[in-house]
Amino acid sequence: MTVLEARDVTKTYREGPHEVQVLRGVSLSLSRGEVVALEGPSGSGKTTLLCILGCLLGAGGGRLTIEGREVDVRRPGRLWSIRRRSIGFVFQQYNLFPSLTAMENVVYALNIRGWRGARARREAERVLDAVGLSQRRNFRPRDLSGGQKQRVAVARALAGAAPMILADEPTGNLDSDSGAQVLELFRSLARQENRALLIVTHDPAVRSIADRVVAIRDGSVIPLES
Amino acid sequence: MVDLALKMLLDEKGRFLATVLGVGFAVALVLIQVGLFFGLLENASITIEKLDADLWVMARNTANVDFGNPFPETYVQRVRSIPGVARADNLIVWYAVVALPTGAKESVIYYALEDFGRWAFPWNVIEGRAADLRRGRFVMLDESAQRRFGPFAVGDSREFQGLSLKIIGKTRDARSFTTNPMAFLDYQLAQRLSAEELSDQTTFIIVKLEPWADVRTVRAEIERRLPYNDVHTRAEWTSISRRYWIESTGLGLTIFLTVSLGALVGVVIVAQTLYASTTEHLAEFGTIKALGGRDIDVCGLIAEQAMFAAALGFALGLVLTFGLDPLLVRLDMKMAVTRGMAALVFVATQVLCLSASIVSFRKVRSLDPAIVFRG
Repeated sequence: MTVLEARDVTKTYREGPHEVQVLRGVSLSLSRGEVVALEGPSGSGKTTLLCILGCLLGAGGGRLTIEGREVDVRRPGRLWSIRRRSIGFVFQQYNLFPSLTAMENVVYALNIRGWRGARARREAERVLDAVGLSQRRNFRPRDLSGGQKQRVAVARALAGAAPMILADEPTGNLDSDSGAQVLELFRSLARQENRALLIVTHDPAVRSIADRVVAIRDGSVIPLES
Repeated sequence: MVDLALKMLLDEKGRFLATVLGVGFAVALVLIQVGLFFGLLENASITIEKLDADLWVMARNTANVDFGNPFPETYVQRVRSIPGVARADNLIVWYAVVALPTGAKESVIYYALEDFGRWAFPWNVIEGRAADLRRGRFVMLDESAQRRFGPFAVGDSREFQGLSLKIIGKTRDARSFTTNPMAFLDYQLAQRLSAEELSDQTTFIIVKLEPWADVRTVRAEIERRLPYNDVHTRAEWTSISRRYWIESTGLGLTIFLTVSLGALVGVVIVAQTLYASTTEHLAEFGTIKALGGRDIDVCGLIAEQAMFAAALGFALGLVLTFGLDPLLVRLDMKMAVTRGMAALVFVATQVLCLSASIVSFRKVRSLDPAIVFRG
């Protein structure tokens, strides 16, 4: 089932007197249970595309549909409800809250999504167990390794019912072993939880878990392999 | 629900402590200044409030209860005959020079009546009986006089205007704004002490009305009969006496400036620490937005931090204020901090701390949630 459908998405940045067109009519779709890897050199527009698909940034033009609902790409200020309902993020820098424990980090994200009390706690326990961190749920991020922090971030993204997870260089700050563990986790959980997963990456190891690989070059998306 | 606001605050104990201390200092400054101000003002009108008189008659343009001007004592007869007047008596409020055993001289302000008992005055006699004042050359002194007079006891004598008077009693809480000790004498003795100014003269007529009398009607009649005197109700006279000190000494302006400075200090400290904290936590606030948090959710988090710091700072300020009270008592100073005043300062602290957050709100509202993707 298609979760995200992007058609002819464009984005232009103004830098002083110059205009730079970063995205030139990008089209992409994501389905539940599918893992898609998005590759591209630095400056190719990967992060810009991720921000637009994740409703963090407005687009210059094109159409974006999430869970069958059309998104007004020109008005990013109103997109918080879509992010809250439909999108989970995993960041390269983890972006966990240092003053919260692993459990509290997940519960807080659920609170934002409207989950409360025992229901939120049960869901947090479930996803932390799914990523293998139930023994460390009361640890703060400073007491966790890089791989463990990223697994907490994955748990946070999975918590709730968001059908789509967008990950930006999730293994970028991890050693190869930890990175491999995180990628395997991604693949199994995406299938198990029936979520759509888009991974922006430089890491060739991501190809091994992806159902589809697309590249972004000169502002356009090119399918590479599936 | 996870209280991220509080956890962020308490995770940076040093900065949080600095904020609370800053607010606490500002609150204490305001409460102490205002408390001392109102304590002083209480002295400015305490005798007016304690004397059970509905109306006060005085010389024209008398500015303050401490600065009475003489007028004929016979005027009291014109007041007594007005329907509705239950009783009216002459009251002298004047100054005397007292010679101390050490050879030094001090001033005292005295209140003189013919019948203290009729007016239940003085209101807090701790030794002796006011009724005995008319029996001889006797005086009652407030115990606070010890600070300037040195120790004294009932039975001691002191020279008032060159006349030796025996101390037959002590009172408590009878103070004037001028800090001169307060004394109580028989009316005719007072006239004798300052014969040149007060022979056949009085400085006030105090009037008690019948329960059925209309104060405006009686007042109008007194004014008609005594066209060269001022007549004030107790409330008016209290207000006039207080206002005199506020305006003529610049005390009001001084207090206003001090309170404003205290408030400004608190606001600046809170604004600075909140803004610094907001800037340091931008990535976290960006993450909240990325997760689906609205601007108002993030601003609410900052507001909660400001209000928590305000509440704790207020509590600290209160402790500092009342912790200083024993020292002030020893210095013979009165600090009048009422519950209403404390509540007002609490609300003002919350409002000011929230106002201090506005700069942080603006920072957060302009925050691009895409910041979460930048390293």
